[in-house]
Amino acid sequence: MKLNVDGLLVYFPYDYIYPEQFSYMLELKRVLDAKGHCLLEMPSGTGKTTTLLSLIVAYMKAHPLDLTKLVYCSRTVPELEKVMEELRKLMNYYEKEMGMEQNILGLALSSRKNLCIHPSVSKEREGKVVDGRCYSLTASFVRARHAADDAVPICEFYEGFDAHGKEFPLPPGVYNLDDLKEYGQTKRWCPYFLARHTITHANIVVYSYHYLLDPKIAEVVSKEISKSSVVVFDEAHNIDNVCIDSMSVKITKRLLDKCSNSITILETTISNMKENDSKRLEKEYKRLVEGLRDATIARETDMALVNPVLPSEILEEAVPGTIRTAEHFVAFLKRVVEYIKTRLRVQHVVQESPAGFLRDIHTKVCIDRKPLRFTAERLASLIRTLEISDLTDFSPLVTVSHFATLVSTYTKGFTIIIEPFEDRAPTVSNPILYFSCLDSSIAIKPVFNRFQTVVITSGTLSPLDMYPKILDFHPVIMTSFTMTLARQCILPMIVSKGNDQVAMSSRYETREDTAVIRNYGNLLVEIAAAVPDGIVCFFTSYLYLETIVSSWYDQGIIDQLQRHKLLFIETQDAAETSLALINYIKACDNGRGAVLLSVARGKVSEGIDFDHHLGRAVLMFGIPYVYTQSRILRARLEYLRDQFQIRENDFLTFDAMRHAAQCLGRCMRGKTDYGIMVLADKRFSRADKRSKLPKWIQEHLKDTNCNLSTEECVQICKRWLRQMAQPFSREDQLGISLLTLEQLQSEEMQKKIQQRAQGV
Amino acid sequence: MDDYQTCPKCKTTKYRNPAMVLMVNACGHALCESCVELLFAKGSGACPECKCPLRRNNFRVQLFEDPAVDKEVDIRKRILKEFNKRQEDFPSLREYNDYLEEVETIIFNLVYDIDPTNTNKMIDNYKKENKDITQKNRNRQSQEEMELEVLLEAEKAQQSEKANLYVNAELEEKKQKHKAREKLIDELMFSDADAKSIVASHVQATAALAKEQPKAAAQLSSGVVKSSKFSSGVQIGLRGQHTNSFLPIPKQEDLPLYRYTAPVFDYDGPPPPPIEKLGKLNYFANIRAANITERAGGYTEAMSCCRALQEALGGLFYSPQLTHKAAVLATNASTPDTDDMETT
Repeated sequence: MKLNVDGLLVYFPYDYIYPEQFSYMLELKRVLDAKGHCLLEMPSGTGKTTTLLSLIVAYMKAHPLDLTKLVYCSRTVPELEKVMEELRKLMNYYEKEMGMEQNILGLALSSRKNLCIHPSVSKEREGKVVDGRCYSLTASFVRARHAADDAVPICEFYEGFDAHGKEFPLPPGVYNLDDLKEYGQTKRWCPYFLARHTITHANIVVYSYHYLLDPKIAEVVSKEISKSSVVVFDEAHNIDNVCIDSMSVKITKRLLDKCSNSITILETTISNMKENDSKRLEKEYKRLVEGLRDATIARETDMALVNPVLPSEILEEAVPGTIRTAEHFVAFLKRVVEYIKTRLRVQHVVQESPAGFLRDIHTKVCIDRKPLRFTAERLASLIRTLEISDLTDFSPLVTVSHFATLVSTYTKGFTIIIEPFEDRAPTVSNPILYFSCLDSSIAIKPVFNRFQTVVITSGTLSPLDMYPKILDFHPVIMTSFTMTLARQCILPMIVSKGNDQVAMSSRYETREDTAVIRNYGNLLVEIAAAVPDGIVCFFTSYLYLETIVSSWYDQGIIDQLQRHKLLFIETQDAAETSLALINYIKACDNGRGAVLLSVARGKVSEGIDFDHHLGRAVLMFGIPYVYTQSRILRARLEYLRDQFQIRENDFLTFDAMRHAAQCLGRCMRGKTDYGIMVLADKRFSRADKRSKLPKWIQEHLKDTNCNLSTEECVQICKRWLRQMAQPFSREDQLGISLLTLEQLQSEEMQKKIQQRAQGV
Repeated sequence: MDDYQTCPKCKTTKYRNPAMVLMVNACGHALCESCVELLFAKGSGACPECKCPLRRNNFRVQLFEDPAVDKEVDIRKRILKEFNKRQEDFPSLREYNDYLEEVETIIFNLVYDIDPTNTNKMIDNYKKENKDITQKNRNRQSQEEMELEVLLEAEKAQQSEKANLYVNAELEEKKQKHKAREKLIDELMFSDADAKSIVASHVQATAALAKEQPKAAAQLSSGVVKSSKFSSGVQIGLRGQHTNSFLPIPKQEDLPLYRYTAPVFDYDGPPPPPIEKLGKLNYFANIRAANITERAGGYTEAMSCCRALQEALGGLFYSPQLTHKAAVLATNASTPDTDDMETT
């Protein structure tokens, strides 16, 4: 249908629209007009993706000069594919309505692993290996060698792309990963490089967070995206952690040993080269004398070793004299690695600021800050010069060089933690150096500065005011939309005590209490008896899950449970978990019914949907706080308190509640769906926890459902399930939660929508 | 990792003898402590590997896994003591970099024994030419480097202070909440007022408290020093510290005006005659009159007389059984003339 959103003509590829989708469009339009950033929360299953795409495409068509590109970031490959499907639907609708080909090019980009079509390289399973092998076939020096000697293998697809692909741009249309591969096969062009090349002129680019947030990759892939783009981060409730991960480095003893090996390889290669082909080294040396800028202008395929961001004023400078020649640099690297090795030889935990580290490295091995800052650049340049084609061995050394560069570049917002052993196994020596980023705003700052509009959206972003604080930006609009429902199809409840009136809680003190464990078990058994099909349970940690399940065995609860449903358990092993999931789905499909025990923050809690019969009830056993004794977390909390005035408790609760909300959201994936949400912990009923749940859940969480015992909870469930079992057709929804164009345009509805769209 | 360390002479490993300590000398070859004791019993000898003469007291504990690095760091430290020119000493960055590379080459040559005669000549030449600059830089270099670090250290100290502040504030808040709740419960238990109104007033009070808290937080946060330098370590503004150390003039608080009140003495005895009346009562007859010089100093016989009388009468009514208050009452009750009043 064609909509009029605040004066903008929007093509919406469906015949019906949810009222909240329309409000979402209104807000988004305002943000685009204002050229600012925004934070939008809308429940999962209400069609965020379609809404976003149709509005932004319409805006691009109406204002082609103001908005040139949409960059859509998502987390996983299946999610990317979903977005591409929606986009394809939208473009088909445009074609049908306007009756002509649309001049819009949209494509998905993923790693080489997902896009490679080389017959042998694409068989590799590990992403790093694929990257390394691709590099060894496509690097400029390999190709130069091939020109001289035909025996040197190269990639025919890349050659094909290089010879012809650049002149012929991809024809307009929508390309997901498979389409790209197919197109590459027919043309004999490399799809990966084709996609990377096409990014610069595509209208819609869909890729993973890392291509924008990880400074090492962003520099290579997303460099040429213009300012007049809109960037969308979907499923962005974890965006701060992604930012932090992209800037953090972890160095283990084994990694350092591997570094020593690669250094010896470097040494021998240099001495060989000096004997045979000293000109090349001289050439590099001269280039470095002139300045680094020229050194970084290299061919696209040689960018396999990417560098962390350096402030551009440093890039203008020449490499310091201490590391200019190859031998000196290798000796320098050796000293750095040996120094870090001595640092790892600690008996107790050390926490240090980057400044302290710099001073110590200066006194111990006489390394100044400046050459340290250039380590990553210099190493990349050296590896290029030495024509080392097998890069996989060098990744440890590259990691160390990143660490050196980062530690000397940033003095604020980072900390160095050296742990001699893991907390769980204090007798086994396993020293690890964590260089951990404490400030999530560092990685995302360039994104906010560079693009005119950044949209952060997810089903669970509550409490909204936390995100601007920790990401350090000023949103134009922060809004949380609720779901309009024709019937009350979610039933959130807080169960605080068992039938014996013992309070249920996963508090540390009562964790081991058998009464609490038994009450949790009874709750699950009684709910399993009352609720049909699938039930998903979330525990706070793997450890807690295991202890509870083992004592349920002793108490006979597992037997009782298996009388009603089959039982599946998520483990830390990915293969095991996916097997459990497949069988869980099978059991739900054939009507046997099943219970899945999984962990908040685990694989199941993010990204796997339990729609309809796969998840009729979600149980949250305990509040999923993070492991608070972790030193990295402690350091981050301290930093947040000092820099952003966020109190420890506030952040911990925020983090726990957003994970709880993610888990609860698993069972609601649309308006025809219905599901029970049980929060089984006494502490959930406190105002500070409750108020941090997303608005669309809070709305249905009545005071009467906040302090229930197991029996009361089961009674309410039964009554509610009977209501839900009544036939439910589209006509019931029409006019309330589902609108036709006429209904949308009616004055009454417009008024309602205006009311709903009040900012938070 | 240390388990693999082996002494090249006696082949002891760290695994077999955890107490083993490897030592290195100027040549960069390692020896375990007991081998050093044995071979260098005389105080000096030759390195078993490279045969270069070594002194025993130059042995020190090997810091790095690779003894070559130990050696290199030694040489580097020695050389850098002499070669300590800084970027300001050069007209351009390019020349500074060339100089750095030269230094690096010298160190490299020394470590790997490449062309030792020439290298040593170069060092000597440099030493002669740049004696004064070296001397000058020795102090300067450390200054600048340390300044940066000291600043950061100070920041850290500040942080820990702040952390304490926050913790205290949080504790205080918790206490207050607890108190408020206790108060509510007490009121509900003992007061006769309507329960609803009590709860309502409690809610109001807590809301008022909650409003105040952001203010307190803001106060705390205003104490937070914004970062004083860019990520590259360059300071923002002119030596940020000095501009910040501007102390406000302490504000004077409004106190009530001073008012004189006559001191009250408690004699614990019959009140002595006032000083003006001493002459009339003829007390001066028994004492020496003041002479001229004493009068010039402001002394009169009335003073010493009055004081003697006060001492004589003070404390006459004092009794350990009577409390202080009672004694005062007693004196008040007694008339000045009843000298013979008895106390029990």
